[in-house]
Amino acid sequence: MFSNYLTIAWRQIVKNKLYAGINVLGLVVGLLVFVFGVLLVNYERGHDQQWSNAERIYAAGTLFGPSAGVGFSQSSGIYSAFAPFIDAEIDGVEQIARTVGGEFLISHSDDHFYEFIRFADPSLLQIFDFTYLAGDARALEDPSGVLITREIAEKFFGSIDVLGEVLTLDHDVSVHVAAVIENLPADVHFVSMIVGAQTFGIVAPLQALNAARDYDLAGNFNNLSSSDLTYMLVAPGKEQAWLQQSLDGVFERHYPAEQRDFIAGLKVRPLGETNTLLWDSTGLPVLDTIRLLAFLVLIVAIVNYTNLATAQSLGRAREIGLRKTMGASRGQLVTQFLVESVVIAAIAMLIAIALLEVAIPIYNGITGRALEMNYALTMPWLVLATGAVGVVAGAYPALLITRATPIDALRDGGKRGAHGARFRSAMLVLQFSISIFMLAMVMVTYFQNKKIEQASDIYPRSEIITMKRLGVESIQLRMATLRNELLNIPGVEAVTYSSMVPYLQSNSSFDVTPQAGDESQSFLLKQLIVDEHFLSTYDTPLLAGRGLSREIASDSIREGVLAANVVINELAVARLGYPSAEAALNQVFYDITKQRDSRAYTIVGVFPDQNFQGFHNEIKATALLMLPQGEVSSGPDAYSFGSIRVTAGTGMADTLAQVERVWDSLIEDYPLQSEFLDETFGQTFVFYSAMTFVLGVFAFVALSLSLVGLFGLAAFMASSRTREIGIRKVMGANTGQIVRLLVWQFSRPVIWALLFSLPLAYFAANTYLSFFADRIDASAGIVAFSGLLGVFVSWSIVAMHAIKVASANPIQALRYE
Amino acid sequence: MLKLQNLSKFYRTDEVETVALDQVNVDIAAGEFVAIMGPSGCGKSTLLNIIGMLDSPSAGHYLFKDEDVSDYNESQLAEIRKRNIGFIFQSFNLIDELSVAENIELALLYHDIPAGERRDRVAQVMNSVGIAHRAKHKPGQLSGGQQQRVAVARAIVGNQSLILADEPTGNLDSAHGQEVMEMLQGLNDDGATIVMVTHSPSHADYARRTINLFDGQVVTESLRAVV
Ligand SMILES: Nc1ncnc2c1ncn2[C@@H]1O[C@H](COP(=O)(O)OP(=O)(O)OP(=O)(O)O)[C@@H](O)[C@H]1O
Ligand SMILES: [Mg+2]
Repeated sequence: MFSNYLTIAWRQIVKNKLYAGINVLGLVVGLLVFVFGVLLVNYERGHDQQWSNAERIYAAGTLFGPSAGVGFSQSSGIYSAFAPFIDAEIDGVEQIARTVGGEFLISHSDDHFYEFIRFADPSLLQIFDFTYLAGDARALEDPSGVLITREIAEKFFGSIDVLGEVLTLDHDVSVHVAAVIENLPADVHFVSMIVGAQTFGIVAPLQALNAARDYDLAGNFNNLSSSDLTYMLVAPGKEQAWLQQSLDGVFERHYPAEQRDFIAGLKVRPLGETNTLLWDSTGLPVLDTIRLLAFLVLIVAIVNYTNLATAQSLGRAREIGLRKTMGASRGQLVTQFLVESVVIAAIAMLIAIALLEVAIPIYNGITGRALEMNYALTMPWLVLATGAVGVVAGAYPALLITRATPIDALRDGGKRGAHGARFRSAMLVLQFSISIFMLAMVMVTYFQNKKIEQASDIYPRSEIITMKRLGVESIQLRMATLRNELLNIPGVEAVTYSSMVPYLQSNSSFDVTPQAGDESQSFLLKQLIVDEHFLSTYDTPLLAGRGLSREIASDSIREGVLAANVVINELAVARLGYPSAEAALNQVFYDITKQRDSRAYTIVGVFPDQNFQGFHNEIKATALLMLPQGEVSSGPDAYSFGSIRVTAGTGMADTLAQVERVWDSLIEDYPLQSEFLDETFGQTFVFYSAMTFVLGVFAFVALSLSLVGLFGLAAFMASSRTREIGIRKVMGANTGQIVRLLVWQFSRPVIWALLFSLPLAYFAANTYLSFFADRIDASAGIVAFSGLLGVFVSWSIVAMHAIKVASANPIQALRYE
Repeated sequence: MLKLQNLSKFYRTDEVETVALDQVNVDIAAGEFVAIMGPSGCGKSTLLNIIGMLDSPSAGHYLFKDEDVSDYNESQLAEIRKRNIGFIFQSFNLIDELSVAENIELALLYHDIPAGERRDRVAQVMNSVGIAHRAKHKPGQLSGGQQQRVAVARAIVGNQSLILADEPTGNLDSAHGQEVMEMLQGLNDDGATIVMVTHSPSHADYARRTINLFDGQVVTESLRAVV
């Protein structure tokens, strides 16, 4: 009996190749997107399972207070001062390890490479069980011992038998190899987290960082970095809730009360969530959205199938009637239909899997991920999904068509279009609601991206080469010479040094107040260390006053002098309470930050508000400060970046080559680390454009599926109305009138879809846009436009077919009835 | 009214060429009632379709009201058809989803006639064919004879001067057949030209002239003496 079902199913498929093709194609796309989406999300969420303590490891993060204004709701790191308290006060935390990342020039004899080093408490090796090729988990207990991976060992030494070999950090601090471990797989957060280094090659003890950069071993409440995680290993049996409570206690007891509007608390996360921290901390549910979109696409595909199958099955009413007359029970007929749709779903799933096997390596190649289809694990799931899709998609047509009594079925053969028309319309509404919704979201994100891109044009980003990591003594001492030499290169217009360049994330700010001693009016002022060429190099005009100058001694911040001149932006003027830029000139405000000199700053110039960090960030109240010439600076507030402005039209690559030559002739011990400012921008912008791209792919797939379904349905409906069309034509209807008739039939569901999807899309668009400080304001217009676009495209599809049908000779339509 | 000169129609399917009409010459004057008879497959429907401009001849000329329409394209033909010709089919060809009144109205729908006038004319013609009490019914709820009356009503509601009927009584019993024939007779008396295909000699007797087709050729034409 069952093989009989299969045979009939197969015959049906072969007989209706076009419909079967559309059906299979639709399901293939739906299943492909769905399985891939689920795989991708599970992969991102399923990191770090290889550690034997995985279940007991947690990371501590920070919740920003409402007034922090940093663009994120939380940070994945905590202040370094918390760790000693946690270690001392919470018994159930067996181990705690801070990590601090930093890039250093690593040298071994004549080889110099910039490498990312994780400095950590020695207990890190107790928490994570690495695979040791040499040495063991005590490696970091020696203050000058480092742990390196096989890759680093081979890169520097050409072998892994390198215990005791010496590496030098920034030509300054020497460390020796105390352990070599196997390279980490791609699915641990150390190498895959989007924030942070994405490499794991060298781990050194925090003492080494203390030696190299005066790292504060006791910890402090000053520097918070999202890529520096603190890990805890809790005792067996201890739960996340317990740990959260314990950390809340530590926060209450030790965090300075006056900073609490900036930081609201600590947040415990299981290790497994660490990899997706960035996604979560942006406040945008990116991964859940991907999963939801994938699911919606699958729904569209199923609806597509159901709709076409329903329409088509009505043409089999006579067959069903005959079978019933011959004694088939309804159950048997339903089974027959379901077998058919499950067979189609199975074919689709096989093709989808074959395509996945092609797509996954490509995706892995692009993203550095290691996704794979683990058939042993996913097989039951895949089979289940196939069955579910087949049954869900086939159930409605099966029930509908087998409901009629045999005689009705036999008699109704001629007017097959009428049955289930309302259901089909409802399904069309569902499909188009989803498609138009996605289309609207793509357009909104696209235009928002355009806005980001345009806003970034305030800086001449295509004409600037940046130099990074200048904050080491041997470079600082040659800064003036370097600048002079660079200016000699043809096409180089200007060179400036600063603590930051546009589009990079930085939170260097200090607490200021307009009234000396009055902390109630204090607010955070972002600080940017610049030199006297910064404003002109970055085309930033002055609204009032003057820029900072070398001629005037008090324009620089000098050790021991408790007054200095600054240039601030309009927002800072407003925060300080002055009505205009002019009014702010020569006014004074005060630094009240702990651990900083309480300086008085005099405003000598005002520049317009510009979004220095770009992207979704708010423009912040900002002050430009200058350091004395010739002073060696290091750390976050040093002249660690240089910007070279190149005349428009000069070859950037050629200029860079010359910059490199100049650099190499002057600075022998550090290689040049340079980047076009355009690239710096692109590295972050890719996050936004990828989002639009992903959405775009989903929307395209959903809309294409809907249109294919619409086309199939239109073709079917038109064919079931052939006779009617013929009669109307004999009665004198012209082609245009027939086309209008057919198009209208499909316009109603599409218009209903608009009613559902547009308000939803508008709401979703605004939720998305609220993430951006500087957002497009035409979201209603864009949403409406995408609705119109959806209607227009579906009209064209139906009209195309309708014109063909309507211009056929009427007698053909009537002859064979 | 219409003149067919050496008119032929070929169908070519898979290298087999069927000659459906072979050098047909026919003249039909305004106000005539003509029956077309002949064995199955001899080309009656083909001839009627060409006269009705639902199909075009392969060779020869077709003069409609002295206008040679043989080379007209689909939309030109549709324009003439719309103004002059009404159809009655053997299989009625009513639209299942529309009511009786709406089916009849269809013949006026595409003629730029105001809705009010359309309603009046439909009501009038429904009365004259005796189907008014069924105005709101769907074709599926009517008997065959009633359905054919609707089809006749639809053919005449536009006051077309030429009515073409392809076996209008083929699906009806003799009583209902009679009824339809009398209706056609009445129309003819009112001045309409009628061309009807039929297999029934008794129904052919309503016509003043009978054209016999065999294998696509006109074999005999017989005139009935006016009683
Ligand atoms: N579309 C077509 N393609 C090929 N051959 C056709 C086509 N239409 C009609 N024919 C052929 O042309 C010939 C005449 O057909 P037609 O329909 O005019 O016959 P008829 O006289 O109306 O027959 P009946 O009395 O059975 O209705 C037949 O041999 C038929 O097979
Ligand atoms: Mg015929």
